[in-house]
Amino acid sequence: MTTSTDTLVARVEGLGKTYGTAGTSIAALRDVTLGINRGEFTAIMGPSGSGKSTLMHIMAGLDSVSSGRVWLGTTEITNLADDALTILRRRRVGFVFQSFNLVPTLDVEGNIVLPFELDGRRPSADERAWIDQLVTSLGLGTRLRHRPHELSGGQQQRVAIARALATRPDLVFADEPTGNLDSRSSREVLALLATASREYGQSIAMVTHDPIAASYADRIVFLADGAVVRDLARSSAEEISAFMLGMERA
Amino acid sequence: MRRLDVREHLPSILVATLSAAFGVALLQVTGMLAVLVAADDVTGSSETVQVVLGIIALVFIAIAVYVGAIVTANTFSTIIAGRIRTIALLRLIGSSAAAQRRAVAGEGLRVGVIGAVAGAVVGTLVTVLIVRIGVATSLVPDLRFDYAPPIVALPIAAVVLTTWLASWVGSRRVLRVSPIEATGTAQEESLDESAGHRARNVIAVVLLVVGGGILALAVVVGLVNPVAVLIGVVGGLFSFTGFVLGAHLVMPRVLRLVGRAFGSSAPARLAAENAVRYPERSTRTTIGLVIGVTLITMFAVAVASYQQMIREAQEAQPDVYQGIDQVLLATVAVFSILMGFSALIAAVGMVNNLSLSVVQRTRELGLLRALGFTARQVRRMILVESASLTIAAVLVGLVLGTFYGWVGAQSLLGAISGSPGVVAPTVPAALLVIVVVAAALLTVAASVTPARRATRVAPVAALARD
Repeated sequence: MTTSTDTLVARVEGLGKTYGTAGTSIAALRDVTLGINRGEFTAIMGPSGSGKSTLMHIMAGLDSVSSGRVWLGTTEITNLADDALTILRRRRVGFVFQSFNLVPTLDVEGNIVLPFELDGRRPSADERAWIDQLVTSLGLGTRLRHRPHELSGGQQQRVAIARALATRPDLVFADEPTGNLDSRSSREVLALLATASREYGQSIAMVTHDPIAASYADRIVFLADGAVVRDLARSSAEEISAFMLGMERA
Repeated sequence: MRRLDVREHLPSILVATLSAAFGVALLQVTGMLAVLVAADDVTGSSETVQVVLGIIALVFIAIAVYVGAIVTANTFSTIIAGRIRTIALLRLIGSSAAAQRRAVAGEGLRVGVIGAVAGAVVGTLVTVLIVRIGVATSLVPDLRFDYAPPIVALPIAAVVLTTWLASWVGSRRVLRVSPIEATGTAQEESLDESAGHRARNVIAVVLLVVGGGILALAVVVGLVNPVAVLIGVVGGLFSFTGFVLGAHLVMPRVLRLVGRAFGSSAPARLAAENAVRYPERSTRTTIGLVIGVTLITMFAVAVASYQQMIREAQEAQPDVYQGIDQVLLATVAVFSILMGFSALIAAVGMVNNLSLSVVQRTRELGLLRALGFTARQVRRMILVESASLTIAAVLVGLVLGTFYGWVGAQSLLGAISGSPGVVAPTVPAALLVIVVVAAALLTVAASVTPARRATRVAPVAALARD
C-alpha cells in the first residue's frame, strides 16, 4: 500500500471520536490512521457499532473529530468552518445513501443536477455530456421526468448514483447502498459502482456489512471497536465472510 | 393516557387562549359599556343598546372562535402527520385506530381547557387594565363593574368545545394509518390525492355556484331594497363554505404562480415546490390566513364603497346626510380592530404550521445540507416558502374580500335615496398598505423559528437509518 499523499484521495491520522459527556462517554473511534487510494473502490466493513459509519461521516466532513486530523486530497478539513465544509461537500464529495435520499419534490433530472444548482450554476456543455452519458449508462433515459416515488428502489438508487457521479467528485461515499434493495438490484448497483471506479477512475468509499457487497471492491478495510483490524486486497465473498466469522470468535 | 406534550401543543394552546381572552374581554367590555350607557342620564336605560352591543360582540367572537377552530384542526392534522410512525407502532402492538384517535381527541380536550382557562384570566386582566386606565384618565367614571357576567361562560365553553372538535376533525388521518407503516423506512409519502375527493369537490362547486347565484340576486335586489344584504349574507355563507371545501384545488395553483415570481435559484425552486408538494398541507397552512384577510378586506371594501356611495348620495342630497362621516369613521376603526384579532389568530396558525412542517422534514433538510446547501441557503429556502404561503393567502383573501365587500355595500345601499346605482368596488389604499406590511412582517415572523431549527439540522441527520 502506498502512503504518498498524491495517491491518496482522503486520509485520517490518529483519528479519535468520543460521544457523550465525561462520565458516560463512548469511544466510537480510537486512533485510526487510514488512507483511501485515488481511483480505487474501497469497502469499509465491520459489525454494528464498529465505528465504520462514524469514520465515513468524519471523512465526508459531516461530523467533527475529537482528536486527530482529516484530509480530503491535500485540503485539511479537520477544523473547517461549516460553510467551507458545505462548499467542499458540494464540489468534491458525492453521496449514495442506504435509503436513496432523493429530494421528493424534484424529478429525476432535477435530482441529478441539484449539486450544480446548489452551486448557483448550470452544468457546462462538457458536464452536460457527462451527465447524458451517465443517464444512458444507468438506464434512466426514459425516467427523467419521473418523481422519486414513481420509481422502484433500484431505480432510485441509480438516480442517487448518477447524482453522486455527476460533479465528478474526488470521492464518492456510499453508505450501505444496497441495504434497502433486493438481491438483483443490489448486484446491479454494486456492478455500477465497480464500473464507475474501473472505467472512469472514480474513487469510492463504501461502508457495508455485507460480504457480497464488499467482494466488488478493490480493497477491504475491517473495523472493530473503533480501530482498523485488517486491510485486505480484493477478496471473494467467502474469504470476507470467513474473516468476519474469525473476528467474531476472537 | 398519553402525557400532554406541552411544546408540541403550545401553538394550539396559544390559539385557544387568544380566542378565549378575546371573547371574555369583549363581553366584559360591552357589559361595562352597557352599564355606562345605563348610568348616563341622557341616553337613559336603553335596553336596545345593550342587546345590540351584545349581538355585535357575539358575532365577532363567533368569527374568532371559528377561525381558531380551523387553525387548531389544521395544527392537529400536522401533528398527526408527524406522528404516523409512532401511531403505526402502537397499532402494530395491538392498539385500535379508534383508541388512538380518542387519545388524540383527549389531548385536544385538555388543550382546549388549558387555553380557555388561561384565556379567561388573560382576558379579565386586559379588561381590568382597560378600566384602570379609563378611570385614571377620567375617561370612565369609577362605577361598580361586573367582571364575571354569566355570559362570559359562553366563549370559554365555545373554545373548549371547538378545540376538542377541531382535534377530532384534525385526527381523521389516524384511522388510515396501517400498522405496517411502522416498519418501512421513512419514505416520504406522496399525497397527490387532492383530485381524489370527488364528493367533496362536487359539493364545493355546487356551493360556489349556488352561493354565487344568490350573491348576484342580492346585488340586483339591492338596487330596490336594502334588505337584500340579508340575501347577500346567505350567498356569502354558501359560497365561502364552498371555497373552503374546494380550497385544495385553488391554493396550490396560486402558490405555484407566486412561487415562480421568486426566480429559479435552487433555494427558490425548492421552496416553491415544497409549498405545493402536499396540496392538503399548504392549503391547511394558508386557509386560516385567507379567512382573516378576506374578513378584513370585505369589511374595509364594504365601508369604503359605502362611504363612496354615501358621498355620491350626499352630493345629490346634502341635507339628508349631515354628520354621518364621524359615525362611519368610528365604526370603521372599532370594527377593524375586532376583525384584526381574527386575522392575528390565523397568523399564529400559519407560523405554527410552517414550524411543524419544518420539524417534520429534518431528514430532507439534512440531505440538502449533506449535498451542499449552506446554512444560508436553507434559511433562504424557508423564508421564500413562508413568503409564498403568505403572499398567496393575502392575494386570495384580497380578491375574495373585495368581492364580498362590494356585494355587501351594493346590496345594502343600492337603493338608498340618491344612490348612483351599481358602482365599482372601492379598495382603500390604506388597507392595501396595511395588508402588505402585515404580510411582510408575518412572512419574517413565520420563518424565524423554522429557519433557526432548519439550520440546526446536522447533515448527518440524512444518513440516519430511521
